[in-house]
Amino acid sequence: MNAKKRLDSPEKPVAPPRWADRLLEWFCAPHLLEEVQGDLHERFERNQTQLGERSARRQYAKEVLSFLKPFAIKRNPTDYPSPFFLNPAMLRNFFRIAFRNLVKHKASTLINLFGLTLGVTACLVIYLITNYELSYDTFHPDKERIYRLVGDVKYEANDERHPVGFVPNAVPAAVRNEIAGVETVTAFHNIETDVLIPNGSEKPVRFESRRSTGNNADIIVADPQYFSVFNYKWLAGNPRTALNEPFKLVLSERKARTYFGDIPLQQMLGKEVIYRDSIRTSVAGIVQDWEQPTDFTFTDFISMATVRASQLKQDIDLDQWNDNWSASQAFVKLPQGTTPAQLAAQFGQFSKRHYAKEMKFWPSLQPLFDLHFNANYDDNYSRKAHLPTLYGLMGVAAFILIIAAINFINLSTAQSVQRSKEIGIRKVMGSSRNSLIVQFLSETALLTCLAVVLALLLTKPILSSIQSLTPNGLTYSLFSLKTLAFLVAMVLITSLLAGFYPSWLLSSYLPALTLKGQNALPGSQKGYFRKGLIVFQFTVSLVFIIATLIVGQQLDFMRNKDLGFTTNATLEVRTLRDDKSQVLAEKIKRLSGVDRISMQWFSPMGGAYMMTKLKYPGKKTVDMKSSIKVGDANYIPLYQLRLLAGRNFHPGDSLRELVINATFAKAMGFKKPADAVNQQLQFNDKMYPVVGVVADFHEQSFHEKISSSFIGYIPQLARNIGVRLTTKGRHADDLKATLASIEQAWNEVYPDNKFDYAFLDDSIAKLYEKEQKTAQLVNLATAIAILISCMGLFGLATFTAEQRTKEIGIRKVLGASVGSIVGLLSKDFLKLVIIALFIASPVAWWAMTTWLQDFAYKIDVAWWVFALAGLAVVLITLLTISFQSLKAALTNPVKSLRTD
Amino acid sequence: MRRSYLGEFEEVVLLTVAVLGDGAYGVAITDELDRQTGRSVSISAVHAALHRLEEKGMLSSRMGDATAERGGRRKRLFAVTALGSRTLHDIRATRDQLWSSIAPNALPAISL
Repeated sequence: MNAKKRLDSPEKPVAPPRWADRLLEWFCAPHLLEEVQGDLHERFERNQTQLGERSARRQYAKEVLSFLKPFAIKRNPTDYPSPFFLNPAMLRNFFRIAFRNLVKHKASTLINLFGLTLGVTACLVIYLITNYELSYDTFHPDKERIYRLVGDVKYEANDERHPVGFVPNAVPAAVRNEIAGVETVTAFHNIETDVLIPNGSEKPVRFESRRSTGNNADIIVADPQYFSVFNYKWLAGNPRTALNEPFKLVLSERKARTYFGDIPLQQMLGKEVIYRDSIRTSVAGIVQDWEQPTDFTFTDFISMATVRASQLKQDIDLDQWNDNWSASQAFVKLPQGTTPAQLAAQFGQFSKRHYAKEMKFWPSLQPLFDLHFNANYDDNYSRKAHLPTLYGLMGVAAFILIIAAINFINLSTAQSVQRSKEIGIRKVMGSSRNSLIVQFLSETALLTCLAVVLALLLTKPILSSIQSLTPNGLTYSLFSLKTLAFLVAMVLITSLLAGFYPSWLLSSYLPALTLKGQNALPGSQKGYFRKGLIVFQFTVSLVFIIATLIVGQQLDFMRNKDLGFTTNATLEVRTLRDDKSQVLAEKIKRLSGVDRISMQWFSPMGGAYMMTKLKYPGKKTVDMKSSIKVGDANYIPLYQLRLLAGRNFHPGDSLRELVINATFAKAMGFKKPADAVNQQLQFNDKMYPVVGVVADFHEQSFHEKISSSFIGYIPQLARNIGVRLTTKGRHADDLKATLASIEQAWNEVYPDNKFDYAFLDDSIAKLYEKEQKTAQLVNLATAIAILISCMGLFGLATFTAEQRTKEIGIRKVLGASVGSIVGLLSKDFLKLVIIALFIASPVAWWAMTTWLQDFAYKIDVAWWVFALAGLAVVLITLLTISFQSLKAALTNPVKSLRTD
Repeated sequence: MRRSYLGEFEEVVLLTVAVLGDGAYGVAITDELDRQTGRSVSISAVHAALHRLEEKGMLSSRMGDATAERGGRRKRLFAVTALGSRTLHDIRATRDQLWSSIAPNALPAISL
């Protein structure tokens, strides 16, 4: 509210256009304004009586604009010139005053600085992460012309059509021949293998496969066109011929150095590298590694011609039309100006031509930039970033910054009363409103700059301490141009966000009132604006708190729900899946501290999961899709799967009997599990009896419903070893010792390979990595939001207690108790918290139910969560302000009333 | 001729101020110009001319009293200074001299 009382004529029914008048007042020199405006108004009134209001208004506007001339704009030099407010001398003075003020009000400065630093740091960290994710594969020349060949697939008539990020092996070559208007097509296959580097007469040097090192995908079998789609700098070898023949290899420079050490690159050409123990390739080219973020992390490129000439053809059937492996990738480069839409019709015909039978495949193109974000199109190498999560993070960062800015606004407007005299004096001494605004904004800017400097110092340690939450391989530079621009923008936005309202308000004080000692705040005397901001702060904090509680509950639920099997002290040893695994199993079995072992394919729950088809020839033949768990007769007792009916299958050396789960029995059409026992199932064209039914157990994450599954022993698949350790009367140290002895057994059997094992608990926890990260982030955000809000509240409470010292003194003299005074001071704040709770609850409820929708097994959102959050905030508020209000209530009234 | 030069429009404005005498201010001058010369001039042009003339010392000005009209805003009243009147006389003398030097039938006044 601008409190200026205009002293001009009473409101006339008709007035010239307000904007034109304002414009004139703004540009016209003050010493000319009165006569010019008078003349114009006089003419306006006459025009209005003669020509009518509309044309008079139009005429007025025209005349105002015609005054935009140098003579009218030029200011008169006065005897007391007030310097332009951006004059260096003025700015120096502003910053000096700002600095003094910041030093003077230490408490509020610290609160604001702390809050703003947290806010800016959050923004900066999240900006760096987002920027990194969004820069994936943006450095390729022609990147907008590169597409991945993907498609939708339907394996059989009653399947659902679903998108896949890979294509049947024969498709890329056919696309090259049949689709007109595609510039280049390249196909490659991801493979995973140990690498052997021959070492003269010594044993070859072995490099472990990424499966055991956990590194990025590095080895592909690629056709020569790969290097025309993706642009690499060649350091040695001939790009045109390098991959044309079988058993040729191109390496990246770094990988070549790993293999061969520090010899000149030219000398590496022709050297031998062995894959899969027997595929001997020779180096035909060296390319420079890409330094920018990319999903194409490949470093070993084996020529595609090698496939047909080596044992690779057993894994990769290049003429395969009717099966689809995620390792099989194809990319195309379109000519300039061609869009995927122009090729859609051709792809439609392509699909009709080649997929007339049961399996259907509809090829389509996925833009390169989509590859890093679109989880529908999966593959074996790219790391998907979840865009909604990134946007959510940005939102959280923005909210934290806003909360910090609100603290600033509240504290500075609350303290404004103390500064009203200063403002009055300044105005009397000829300060313009503009220069006052700049003065206050410079205070904010100074604080923000400090916050940014602190944030820069904090970013590195914070990013390294929350490494588990940040994307792998995150690279950032704090001093790049882009980051600098972002920081400048941050300073500007934050300064304006935090400083604009207070500076606008403070500079509007009327010196005549403030110097008399009256409050010059007619409109905001009640502080509705400030209260609204506090409510907003608490709403944000409450939403965060509720989210924390619910995410935590869901995680607890997932951790503690009965999975249908035991995970206690159980680990899986992943062998090389050869006949030696049997030997290793025998060795492990004999160790003390091992309770039981089972030959198996996978543990009941984990990332690996296999679907297969069976037939149930009952009254009418039912086609069943089921997941398959392969294990020997020890599998069920080892994992303590509960038998509902029948028995475990007998030990044997081949598949003779099956055990199914309850869902499977239901799918067969039996209400009681017991009825499914002794039914015959057809699997791979043979009939097997069902001998038992186990209770449902979780095989995948809680996002998926439990599906039908069966357990059987297929010796050639059950090559991994499930191990349960004895826990009775043992300590952690004993477990460690047992683990060491298992490793020793491994080294005896597989001297060349790394001991590859995982505890079942860890494998299951891996399924929830994303949720764990979400939970940690939400907790962090909540903690920060609450902290900042509380600090602001503390500042405000301090301030109100100070302001009302006299009132409290008089109340005490008249007999008020300490309790009633504390209540009086707390009541105002509590009201705001309650209002915030009512606003936050529906928002949080909506957000959390949306998040929970992803889970097949989830908690119900209970009302008490909201009540608890409300209670928590009320308690936090009371704690925050109680210190101040108690101090105020306990002050001796003699002291507070003595001075005036 | 050593005197400050007057533009044609400035001359007309200066003359109008002289015509109006006491009540010469922006609006009145504009109206009078309209009436006398038949050309409609914009108020801002008149203000600019008055401003220039005052800078040249041909006009002096003072603020009038506040009245109830025009929202209480005062008028700036202009008067011709001694220099202004001398300049006008000079110009007139020059013109008369030129007119009197023209041959009688060189400029037939065509009236339609």
